[in-house]
Amino acid sequence: MADLPSDLVVAGVAPAADEAAVARAGGWWRGRLGVTVPAVMVALIFGLCFIWPIIGPVPPPTGGNILNASLPAFSPGHFLGTDPVGNDEWSRILYGGRASLEIALAVQAIGIVLGGLIGAIAGYLGGWRDATIMRVLDVFIAFPGLVLAVAIAQGLGPSELHTIWALSFFSVPASARISRAATLQLREQTFMTAARLSGTSFPRMVIGHIAPNIVPQLLTYALLGMGIIMILEGALSFVGLGVPPPAPSWGNMIAQGQSTISADPRYVFLPSAALFITVVSFNLLGEGLRARWGTQ
Amino acid sequence: MSSTSAPLSAPLAARAGRAGRLAGSPTLAFIVRRLLAAIPVLFGVTFLSFVVMNSLPGDAAQELLGAQATPAEIHQLEIKLGLDKPFLTRYWDWLHQAVIGHLGHSLSSGQSVASILGSDLPVTFELVGFAFLVSLALAVPLALVSARKPNGVADRLSMMFSMAGLSIAPYVLALVLVYVFAVKLNVLPALGWVPPGQSLGQNIRYLILPAVSIGLGLLCFYTRLLRADLLEQMQGEDYVVTARAKGVRPWRVLTRHALRNSLFGLITVVALNLGTLLGFTVVIEDIFGIPGIGHELLQAIDNRDIPVIEGIVFVFAVIVVLLNLAADVLYSVLDPRIRYGRPTE
Repeated sequence: MADLPSDLVVAGVAPAADEAAVARAGGWWRGRLGVTVPAVMVALIFGLCFIWPIIGPVPPPTGGNILNASLPAFSPGHFLGTDPVGNDEWSRILYGGRASLEIALAVQAIGIVLGGLIGAIAGYLGGWRDATIMRVLDVFIAFPGLVLAVAIAQGLGPSELHTIWALSFFSVPASARISRAATLQLREQTFMTAARLSGTSFPRMVIGHIAPNIVPQLLTYALLGMGIIMILEGALSFVGLGVPPPAPSWGNMIAQGQSTISADPRYVFLPSAALFITVVSFNLLGEGLRARWGTQ
Repeated sequence: MSSTSAPLSAPLAARAGRAGRLAGSPTLAFIVRRLLAAIPVLFGVTFLSFVVMNSLPGDAAQELLGAQATPAEIHQLEIKLGLDKPFLTRYWDWLHQAVIGHLGHSLSSGQSVASILGSDLPVTFELVGFAFLVSLALAVPLALVSARKPNGVADRLSMMFSMAGLSIAPYVLALVLVYVFAVKLNVLPALGWVPPGQSLGQNIRYLILPAVSIGLGLLCFYTRLLRADLLEQMQGEDYVVTARAKGVRPWRVLTRHALRNSLFGLITVVALNLGTLLGFTVVIEDIFGIPGIGHELLQAIDNRDIPVIEGIVFVFAVIVVLLNLAADVLYSVLDPRIRYGRPTE
């Protein structure tokens, strides 16, 4: 466990079942299914949230008629009923998922590109430059991310884009530490020395030699982090930030449902279930990929 | 070197005799180096939060007086609170006082920041500590049962349970628990807090739901971590092979030999994780109406109460830095194979 990168812990990601355990694991889950099943689930969720509202009979998620308020599930035309202001609940789940997924994807993309680059540069350069970069990242990790997130949202006004900025303060340092740890291992490899000796320029070293080798690792951690980012997005909504209503996100739907939980708990349970299924799918996919790539 | 050559210099004097080995030990050098490195981090954290709070629209004077206040009134209060001084002067004033342990007074209530921290921190610590200890106590047997027979029924069940537990958001769990135990069964309170000094039984009743909301994720996280590490130990480590060859029963190898080694690793990881955990309590405190530090932080941000925010951020950062340090030191102390302060091979 000594070599477990601490960023894992910072990001709160579950550690992988190690290779040995995977090797002993029964074939059925370790083989194709361990990746295929969650991958299909993720694809299905993306399809439902991004494509189905375009091609299917999905009413708009906002601007519903107040006369249709709080319809029960399985009402005609409203598969999951309507919310207290008359919007179709099923549609809000789909569009809410769209917002939550967009945020998580954007945050992780920023994390991989920016954090990955920072970590690779720090790990490759080493010495005082490495130490300085890592200390600056320590500041961000030691800083209660919530203060920053709240400040960004209050200063710029709550919006989906600003939520992405705010949450990137979690993903960039985490990715940077993973990428640095991976780069440190790479640095001593023969091909790296060969490349260095043959006079490869610094940007080329980072982009051409380091990046391709650390991207699989970064991607796996990013997948495992998707769930956490989606959970954090909801946490921001709870403190009155995040995606501003009436536009739906799973986080703000759950936060809004809190006020009616004793009268009608489905406004909490439906988006919660959607969030849970999605996070499980991402976590399983991440674990599956890690098991597969780990055994290479 | 003789100890008399530098009687005033403690580090030099300490080199003599038995203490010499301690002062020269790479672990101590490592601790000192890390503590020194932590200073710029703490400096950066407090400065960053100062910058962030100052870049927000509005200030404490405006928040205190409300929307109807005239600019002249606001300006007067700003002078009274010292908000008219330039930004760097204010940061310097704060830093200067903070270094000698004086964290200042709240701009909105006038209470001293130290007393606010003193009343709120124990609440959060009790919540987090309770959740942490219970989840750790449950994670160890769960992981042992899992690792005893990898891929057995118990292992599959516990892995499924922990995957589910890891994927549920703490606030979702909190709301589900409130619905089941407070709304439907009406056995536990949904909101509020009773200090342990007032009534310990009531205190625990109010503590259960929020602590479970935080603790379930921890339990699952620790279980998976410990199981993976136990399996790793059981697979490849020489001492496991030795113990087995001696004829020690597998269960005993697992609980006596492997668990000890894995627990060291777990403790260090846990130390790192506690910092993040403190951040996550904010939402839980909000849902359950617990007067902890997270609750205070949200309020302070709303009021633009910079001294309170600085105090909380500072304490959080100190905790995170110290826990990180403790984790690294634990590694080197508990695992003699790791030595800091020497060039790594």
